[in-house]
Amino acid sequence: MKRLNPSLIAGGVIVAVIVLMALVSFVWTPYDATLVSPASRLLEPSWSHWLGTDKFGRDVLSQIMVGSRTTLFVGVVAVGVAAVIGVPLGILAAMVRRWPSEVIMRANDLLLAFPALLLAIMFGAVFGASTLTAMVAIGIASVPSFARVIRSGALQVMRTEYVLAARAAGRQPFPIALRHVLPNVTSLITVQASVSFAIAVLAEAALSFLGYGTPPPTPSWGRMLQESQEFLFSAPRLAIFPGIAIAIAVLGFNLLGDGLRDRFDPKLEDRR
Amino acid sequence: MKPSFSTRAVAFLASAALLAVTACSAGSGTSSGSSPGGDQNLSIGLVAEPASLDFTTTDGAAIPQVLLGNVYETLVKQDDSGKIVPSLAKSWTVSPDRKTYTFDLVDNAKFTNDKQFTANDAVFSINRVKTAWTTSLKAAMDVVSQAKALSPTQLQVTLAKPSNDWLFRMTTRIGAMFSESGVSALATAPVGSGPFKFSKWNRGDSIVMVRNDSYWGSKPYFQQITLKYFKDATALNNALLTGTINVIGTVQAPEALSQFTSNDKYQVIEGTTNGEVLLSFNNSLPLFKDVRTRQGIRMAIDHKALLDTCWAGRGKLIGSMVPPTDPWYEDLTGVAPYDLAKAKSLLQASGAAGKTLRLRLPTLPYATSCGQVVKSQLEQAGLKVAIDQLEFPAAWLTTVFKNADYDMSIIAHVEPRDLGAVFNAKYYTRYDDPTLQGYLAAADSGDEAAQVDNMKKAARRLSEQAAGDWLFLLPNLMVADKSVKGLPTNAITENFDLSKLAR
Repeated sequence: MKRLNPSLIAGGVIVAVIVLMALVSFVWTPYDATLVSPASRLLEPSWSHWLGTDKFGRDVLSQIMVGSRTTLFVGVVAVGVAAVIGVPLGILAAMVRRWPSEVIMRANDLLLAFPALLLAIMFGAVFGASTLTAMVAIGIASVPSFARVIRSGALQVMRTEYVLAARAAGRQPFPIALRHVLPNVTSLITVQASVSFAIAVLAEAALSFLGYGTPPPTPSWGRMLQESQEFLFSAPRLAIFPGIAIAIAVLGFNLLGDGLRDRFDPKLEDRR
Repeated sequence: MKPSFSTRAVAFLASAALLAVTACSAGSGTSSGSSPGGDQNLSIGLVAEPASLDFTTTDGAAIPQVLLGNVYETLVKQDDSGKIVPSLAKSWTVSPDRKTYTFDLVDNAKFTNDKQFTANDAVFSINRVKTAWTTSLKAAMDVVSQAKALSPTQLQVTLAKPSNDWLFRMTTRIGAMFSESGVSALATAPVGSGPFKFSKWNRGDSIVMVRNDSYWGSKPYFQQITLKYFKDATALNNALLTGTINVIGTVQAPEALSQFTSNDKYQVIEGTTNGEVLLSFNNSLPLFKDVRTRQGIRMAIDHKALLDTCWAGRGKLIGSMVPPTDPWYEDLTGVAPYDLAKAKSLLQASGAAGKTLRLRLPTLPYATSCGQVVKSQLEQAGLKVAIDQLEFPAAWLTTVFKNADYDMSIIAHVEPRDLGAVFNAKYYTRYDDPTLQGYLAAADSGDEAAQVDNMKKAARRLSEQAAGDWLFLLPNLMVADKSVKGLPTNAITENFDLSKLAR
């Protein structure tokens, strides 16, 4: 019987809570997260406002709940963009002959060498700050890591006997990629997606903090941090709560990624 | 060895703590970290870096803020009380028909290209406004029919009709005196006769001015003044706390002011400005042509709550485009008081209810902050508001100011006596109102009493017609090292006079 995988369980629970929080926020939040209420500004945590209110009188808990939607949405789209581009590139690089593969991977290295956050800021400056720009920029910045990981997995699959047999039987490269390679790198995709998700969460927060991400008043954990700067001395909780939310989300996705890797990697399984 | 779950969990918790610390120190690292320098050097923190150094072709208040009075001088200028006093003109006389002005000029002023300032330069500068300037403010010089040099130190300007406004406008950027041989590179190398010389511009960071040691008037105290630009309000505060700058030229995070008021090292200056924070409407759009839409929006905004929320209650509610330092100021906050029920019915009647309006905001702290309050309050009145942030100055100036591609925006208009300049058909507000223009024309051509009377009527007309909504008047909030002297209590001109600063 397989032993329990604590990383997987802890990561899964944290991610499940965040997903649940996001889903609940579609139907219920304690208060309207964007409603400005001057009479309620800067209230301390209490029974009526569990995490207090910000300078606009908005309920911090409601903002964190709705902010989780932004976080997950950005993560899903960014990882989706990265996977849709990175996975085929990785498989292609593993299947084509030497020099085209080199071209793909060196181009990949070039993108990898460019700081992800700088790339996202550049996108924001050129196309305007928005959640969409942030998602696409983070996604593109994550392409190289997907392509690298998938290429290494695909190279191993390409050396297996069933792929060699398929090639000997005259199967075309595309059906081989689709029927033999892709199903065998799914576990790698899952692990990489989870790790990239954590990076995307942090990147979205950083971009919103810098004003290149989700525009106001849509709640975003990064922008909550940014707006709290004025109150670091008078109401530090305004920075602490979204800070903790970001940290827990990143922790959750990283633990989930670790757990999935342990679960899928037979070598690590043997070592346990 | 593979790290255990608990080890990794502890590592991540440490990361969380680090993140919190990062949040706490955010914004402190944007400056170069260099010391403001010795006793003869001063560093001032500002927001909104100029897009160019040429105010003859580029709009925006950031350019005259830096250059006017410091690099460029005018024939006449305003003193701290708003009175027009001599500058490059020692004195002047006005003909009985109020159409001819004769200026006696100083004879020892020199431009920084070593050319002597003469009446010919004044004629060149006045004529150049009409021929080479491209900004909308140039219209103030249209009234001049002729400028003539009677001698190297005597200038005669003839107006097509009497104008109260013209001499006042000569205190602003359109009155700047240029050297005929010094206008080839205005955008990057300004040449003036002022107490400071432009030294260098590190784009995105700072502008450096050095003392003009051959200045004809009283020489400034500081040998070098660096104007450092910050996009982030907290970074600006932190720069003063860490000694990177000596003065915060305009506080952008008023909620955090307590960290300075409670510290003996700093002085806090609070006065008034000309900066009317305007919720502007694109009056050329069909929806805004209906006065009920405009009035509905004005009445949907609780201005007191807005000021308390977005600018810590600092500033003044004015209700129209006139600050209290102007002679024709009246408190017009009662013209469109906050009345949510009436606002809803006005918006319903005009057909605006349920419509989505684009609120295109410049990336300036007060605009971002107030924009969120405006959106929330307008949505309570039945409108939908989509906020869109545009990089300031470049993107905002192109999209909103130049192309009028917006429904509503928020910007502070800091030019003095700018009612007529802001509300006309050619400006980005696209406000075309013959009645208003009639009042302004009568104010310009009449005597002093008629000017005050007609300007009051114009301000009331604007307020009643809800040509925009005046959210509040920006306060002049400055924080500086206690040793810095000469900082202005009120900022009622469009320039930041650096020559009066000392230690």
